[in-house]
Amino acid sequence: MNQAFRKKIKRNDRIARWVITVGGMAIIFSVIFILVLIAKVSLPLFLPPDAELHASTRMPRVENIRAVGMDEYLETGYVIDASGTIRFFNVKDGAPLDQELLSGAGGNRSLLAVETYGRLNHVLRWSDGSLTIDQVKFRPYFDAENDNRRSILHRVESLASFPVPATGPGVQTLARVGGEGRQVRIDLYSDNRLLVQLIEVSENFLGEEEVTEAEHQLAFDTAGDVSALVLSSDGTRLYAGTKQGELLRWDLSDSEEPTLLEKIQAFADRREITVLNLVYGDVSLAVGDSTGQVTTWFPVRDDSGVWKLTRIHDLSRHSAPVAAISPSPRDKSVISFSSEGLLVDHMTSERSLLSLGRKDRLQLYSMTTRGNAIMGLTDDGRLQSWKLEIPHPEVSLGTLFGKVWYEGYDEPVYAWQSSAATDDYEPKLSLTPLIFGTLKGTFYAMLLAVPLAIFGAIYTSQFARPRLRALIKPAVEVMAAIPTVIIGFLAALWLAPLIERSLGSLFLSLVLVPAALMISILAWQGARKIEPLRRLERGFEFLAVAPVVILAMAIAAGLGPGLEQTFFAGDLKQWLFTEMGTRYDPRNCIIIAFAMGFAVIPIVFTIAEDSLSNVPSSLKAASLALGASRWQTVWRVILPSASPGIFAGTMIGFGRAVGETMIVLMATGNTAIMDLSIFNGMRPLSANIAVEIPEAPVDGSLYRTLFLSAVILFVMTFIVNTVAEIVRQRLRAKYGRF
Amino acid sequence: MTTLKIENPVIEVEDLRFFYGESRALHGIDLKFPEKRVTALIGPSGCGKSTLLRCFNRMNDLVDGSRVEGQVLLDGENIYDRNTDIIELRRKVGMVFQKSNPFPKSIYENVIYGLRIAGENDKALFDERVETSLKGAALWDEVKDRLNESALGLSGGQMQRLCIARAIAVNPKVILMDEPCSALDPKSTARVEELIGELRENFTIIIVTHNMQQAARVSDLTAFLFEGNLIEFGVTEQLFVKPQNKQTEDYITGRFG
Repeated sequence: MNQAFRKKIKRNDRIARWVITVGGMAIIFSVIFILVLIAKVSLPLFLPPDAELHASTRMPRVENIRAVGMDEYLETGYVIDASGTIRFFNVKDGAPLDQELLSGAGGNRSLLAVETYGRLNHVLRWSDGSLTIDQVKFRPYFDAENDNRRSILHRVESLASFPVPATGPGVQTLARVGGEGRQVRIDLYSDNRLLVQLIEVSENFLGEEEVTEAEHQLAFDTAGDVSALVLSSDGTRLYAGTKQGELLRWDLSDSEEPTLLEKIQAFADRREITVLNLVYGDVSLAVGDSTGQVTTWFPVRDDSGVWKLTRIHDLSRHSAPVAAISPSPRDKSVISFSSEGLLVDHMTSERSLLSLGRKDRLQLYSMTTRGNAIMGLTDDGRLQSWKLEIPHPEVSLGTLFGKVWYEGYDEPVYAWQSSAATDDYEPKLSLTPLIFGTLKGTFYAMLLAVPLAIFGAIYTSQFARPRLRALIKPAVEVMAAIPTVIIGFLAALWLAPLIERSLGSLFLSLVLVPAALMISILAWQGARKIEPLRRLERGFEFLAVAPVVILAMAIAAGLGPGLEQTFFAGDLKQWLFTEMGTRYDPRNCIIIAFAMGFAVIPIVFTIAEDSLSNVPSSLKAASLALGASRWQTVWRVILPSASPGIFAGTMIGFGRAVGETMIVLMATGNTAIMDLSIFNGMRPLSANIAVEIPEAPVDGSLYRTLFLSAVILFVMTFIVNTVAEIVRQRLRAKYGRF
Repeated sequence: MTTLKIENPVIEVEDLRFFYGESRALHGIDLKFPEKRVTALIGPSGCGKSTLLRCFNRMNDLVDGSRVEGQVLLDGENIYDRNTDIIELRRKVGMVFQKSNPFPKSIYENVIYGLRIAGENDKALFDERVETSLKGAALWDEVKDRLNESALGLSGGQMQRLCIARAIAVNPKVILMDEPCSALDPKSTARVEELIGELRENFTIIIVTHNMQQAARVSDLTAFLFEGNLIEFGVTEQLFVKPQNKQTEDYITGRFG
């Protein structure tokens, strides 16, 4: 070999080594890069919430402030003082903008108290006992002539006014104006009487307005005096709490007949209920008590079917009695207020989000309609505003993986339900049912695919004629090339209805096919004495088996309907439901087992077949020469030696099934339930991502949760593959090396 | 072709013809193998000596498209009879292969493999057979302390002796050896040859070898095959010293092969 040629070889070696190294590193790098990219999107879910002091100003010459508020752009703030004047000001520098007298003001009436609900609706209580409801509205305006500069327009709208009742004003009053012309005023008198005044405006069939007015005294009997009251924003539900820890609930929806729904001893230790309010959506009742604890309650149906207020979530605890509770106008967050300051919690996730104004000694506060800022009034007259950064209050590890007691549910559940038709709906983002769905679908697919693939591989590699093997192997590998969308399509539109129609036959064939095989094997013992038939034993067994199996299936198909008729009252699905308590979904695990199994079989088969064929024939010969039968040889020598490869094939199949999307998307029904039943569908992580990502607002909780589920999917396949590789190495060290 | 008087033949081959598909590998072989003797089959590559050896335990059945005509009698019974139990046959006729092929199991499990597949489950019997077989294969002293270690950790010569131990553990009548030393170094070869000498006291041994010195050293009788025909069969010393046939002489003197 001449020198130049030798050099060339060495150079090529070097280049090849570099190319391979760079390629390998690039693959590792891009996999890590993808993981980092996905993880980065999901990470903000777990960032702690943040509040930043936005401004701290003072309005000169304004005293006796009864309410504060601010627009959601954090530009215009307002205060309402005892004279009934609303003054708007610039949040940043406190510069006064304009002011106006509220509709109820006038004469020598002064404003005693303001209660705020919903979107900056202020219930104003005047010194003469009358109530008015005014709403402050903000609207951004873009000035087209002035470079589209944004300015915030504001106005005050009078919604309703309630005169003093004949019996005089109560010590506590409530008023709400509902969306459909319903106005309710509640007066609580010091002798524990409650007066309800209702005005309902309805349209009769001629299209004329009819006004119904009603007044009721609510009778009730409690151990302690009523200390807290709250009315739902549509005025149909009234709640009261007492000094002895009792809770009462009335239904006011029938204006003729308000009914006391229940009275419960909420706290066994009879602690005083100091404040009540309704969480956004008006279903959950937030209760603040004298111990400083904030709890939320909602009616749950008990065993006898009666709705009963039940303590659901325990939120933060103040060290002083709770003085006020207000809901976030945007989500299920609850702001509670005591002399200690403000605490913001998310009800469902029970996450303690923020603690504000601990040192500022706040007297009043209010949240913007978008829930992005809080303005408070300190006792020395400063107007403090905080900008809140709580992007994902409803997400915590508990809500992602644990059981959560959602509003309106009878018990804590794992639930995935990301969207609904109403605004006050809370998304249910538990990943547990999805992980469960992935594992369930994979389990059933593997249950079908692995035995079929491995036995197929054993037969093909050890028993079939080489010529046959040369046919079977590529044919099975072609199966892997079928687009999964076609498999899913066939499974959903052809297989699912077929199996639904012939469920009885399917189960019958599970019995008949093995039975027929047993019988035919027994029969074969006689038939094999005939020479031409005996030749089948050497690699053409399937020719004898196929007709038996087909015949057994045909018989099952024929007998199935009769079986259902005789033993299952004509409908197996109905029987399953009534007798076994199992619902039959048309798209269920049977379908998935067939469809996804079909997709997994080629992978497991090919790898298993390769490793079985690669067992040195010398081992097979050694075993046979010692008098082992073909089956003994396979079982005792070939299978252990090929086990690393078979295991690897199974695991790669597993990884494939976990990540499979199109088939499960089309053939599972995508119901996020946690039920092991083979007759139910599921919603796996992969299909969930495919279904929901187009509808998920970018950077929203759903969006990030979907990315998190992608990380989980990634990690799952990573773990499966790593475990597979480790086990494979172990097996290889034990059985390999020939 | 000489006719040798054989007493107590264990295997009698009568007009054995063997076909791989259409091509004929053996053209009517007639041979008798005496009991508890070592018989060597020699001949150039492709002469059919391995094929002939594999006919004695029907390992050739595994070859696709092969066909046998004629008879092989083991203790007077034709092993190619339709009613022959191949498994029983292979328990009587053990085999050691050219390349040592221990199973990827422990030394212990390798030795008792033949017993296990026969449905034997007696631990005491296993222990006893492992010891006697390994002693019989002159391996006992080397491995007695590591019987539960993988057989794949042994040296090449040890592996081959393990294969012999595995073959004798089931107590066969006949042991077929297909070039058992061709993959071994001279020292290991000497051990195995020595072992063959010891084994002839209990077993009938038929050995295929390329190495004529080996045939001369270990065998009592030698058969020379050429192109699927038996050319000469005789007592080893005579065949090597005074071959009757020209082809035999050419072969043993190294003129071809």
